[in-house]
Amino acid sequence: MIDRYDWAGGQEAMLRFGPLDGPVVVFAQPLFEEANRTRALIVSVARALARRRIASAIPDLPGTGESLVPTRDVTIMMMREAFEGAAARFDREGRETYGAGIRSGALLDPLALLSGRWHLAPVDGARVLRELTRIKQIEVDHSLNEFWYLEGDTAIESGHSPVAIAGNLVSPHLLSELTALTPFDQPDIPRRVVRLDSDPEPADVKLPGPPLWRRAEPDNDRALVELLADDLTAWVRSCEG
Amino acid sequence: MQPDGASNVIETVRAVLRDILGLSEARAAAFDDTTPLFGALPELDSMAVAGVLTELEDRLGILIDDDDIDADVLENFGALTRFAIAKALG
Repeated sequence: MIDRYDWAGGQEAMLRFGPLDGPVVVFAQPLFEEANRTRALIVSVARALARRRIASAIPDLPGTGESLVPTRDVTIMMMREAFEGAAARFDREGRETYGAGIRSGALLDPLALLSGRWHLAPVDGARVLRELTRIKQIEVDHSLNEFWYLEGDTAIESGHSPVAIAGNLVSPHLLSELTALTPFDQPDIPRRVVRLDSDPEPADVKLPGPPLWRRAEPDNDRALVELLADDLTAWVRSCEG
Repeated sequence: MQPDGASNVIETVRAVLRDILGLSEARAAAFDDTTPLFGALPELDSMAVAGVLTELEDRLGILIDDDDIDADVLENFGALTRFAIAKALG
């Protein structure tokens, strides 16, 4: 069902799946283009969780989905505060709430009151910025320096006005924020890292499947959906004790 | 997985193209040195090239300077694998 949640900056929509009681998994979608590429995967995992009697929610964060906030005005802090608001909605109902951060979505959950964090192929902000810079370089067809987004390197975009990357207007402030961000990882706070078996980075578990977040055309993978839903379900139930 | 030989790098490049471009197992398996890439595979547009390069970096543990990438590197499967082998195995 389509629901709404409140946060300090307003109200946004969220899709909800599964039972109206028990633990809730709140998904944090990746930033930028990877959100489009993983949308079908995330919705499919949410439906698969519902079949396993685990509730979940996919909030639209400011500047994403149905949000009326222009992408050019969005900051990472706004997205973090909004995610906190979405999670708090369930916490107020007395339900155990878990974060499921997909890729750079793992950078958006540090403020939320969560019983645990499950991160799929998490990536740090510097890596995200490097990928965006690569895409921009292809668009403008020449090399860009490290701080191109602040220096008006692309000639038509100067100073602190938004920069266009793959059709989205993005705040240079957001790009600056990215440089220092790493996924939330504190001792004694439950966190599970899941990666694909093609990914050499360390993980708690590696699963077979394609990196849909990099696929040229948005796609889905039914086998991967079931593996992810199984892992999330088992992890949530183990946290619930 | 850190590839320890040229054949591992070649198979990694094949898997990256299959995964990023959404190619079938059979189609990717049939790639040889002469299989044309950029300009011949409709799936491989400039945005997909960015994805291929970044995924190669992740899987091979290498850094690719975008200035090193030109049409020759992406001309065919053989050229791309030679480039990746040089980067990964030095």
